[in-house]
Amino acid sequence: MTTAIGEARIKVPDQITRGDLITVNSIVSHPMDTGFFRNADGVPIPAYFIKQVVVTYGGDEVARFEWTSGISRDPVVSFTLRADKEAPLTMTWTDNQGATFKHSVNIGFASA
Amino acid sequence: MVGTTRDFTCVAYLLPVPRRSFLRACAASAVGLLASGTIVERLLGASTPALGPEDPEVPNEEVARILDRISGARPIRRGHVSLDMPVVAEDGRVVPVMIETDLPMTATHYVKAVHLVVDHNPDAHLAAFHLTPALGAASISTRIKMKRTTWVRAIVETSTGEVWADYSRVRVSLNGCG
Repeated sequence: MTTAIGEARIKVPDQITRGDLITVNSIVSHPMDTGFFRNADGVPIPAYFIKQVVVTYGGDEVARFEWTSGISRDPVVSFTLRADKEAPLTMTWTDNQGATFKHSVNIGFASA
Repeated sequence: MVGTTRDFTCVAYLLPVPRRSFLRACAASAVGLLASGTIVERLLGASTPALGPEDPEVPNEEVARILDRISGARPIRRGHVSLDMPVVAEDGRVVPVMIETDLPMTATHYVKAVHLVVDHNPDAHLAAFHLTPALGAASISTRIKMKRTTWVRAIVETSTGEVWADYSRVRVSLNGCG
């Protein structure tokens, strides 16, 4: 499986009712190089990792994660969210070279 | 004491008092109990060192500095946090971590940060998760790298200034840090 760096997925439950405490699962494709390894030719591989993740829900920042290269390759993170409004949930990953990767899902409620 | 309060709510149906006002009274007394408990714990905590006698020892200066920076000289007490990790990690490159707490997530009393510290990793302060009440609960799962067998610390900071922790010792078979 080959995925481009920064390609991301966010998974939320299919059926959400207003007020539910939902689990949000996320993954972003990134090598998360520590800077401690060398390639086959003995050349050091520089540190290259996601250092910050910002989560917004309907425009409000609800979480912010500060990471090091100690997070595994292709970082996954899961957290809870109180689904109290129909609004986009957006995650923005920023790496130590300044690149940002953004992905959104819409939190919508099942029609009763 | 939380258990006691729960039991009372079951009895509510048998009482002549209107259920709503009874529940309101229960909630009020629960808040009162929680508040008084916190004060007592704070008084006790003030005279003890930053870590309890049964907590893992601080292995080096770097970890000591990290713990100081997180706690700001407040006691780091064990409780309210559960750090779930494998006892043995076959591959140190991918070690699952799950941190949960039973602390409230309300506008006035919430978990504002969850710190992950891996004692013998090159970058011991591995991650900080800054949270808000909008999340509804403080529960974080991820996957981390571990260099070798060591203690892992999950340290939680609340908006009211309490610091809670849980610890896991993880045996690492394959170095995941290079």
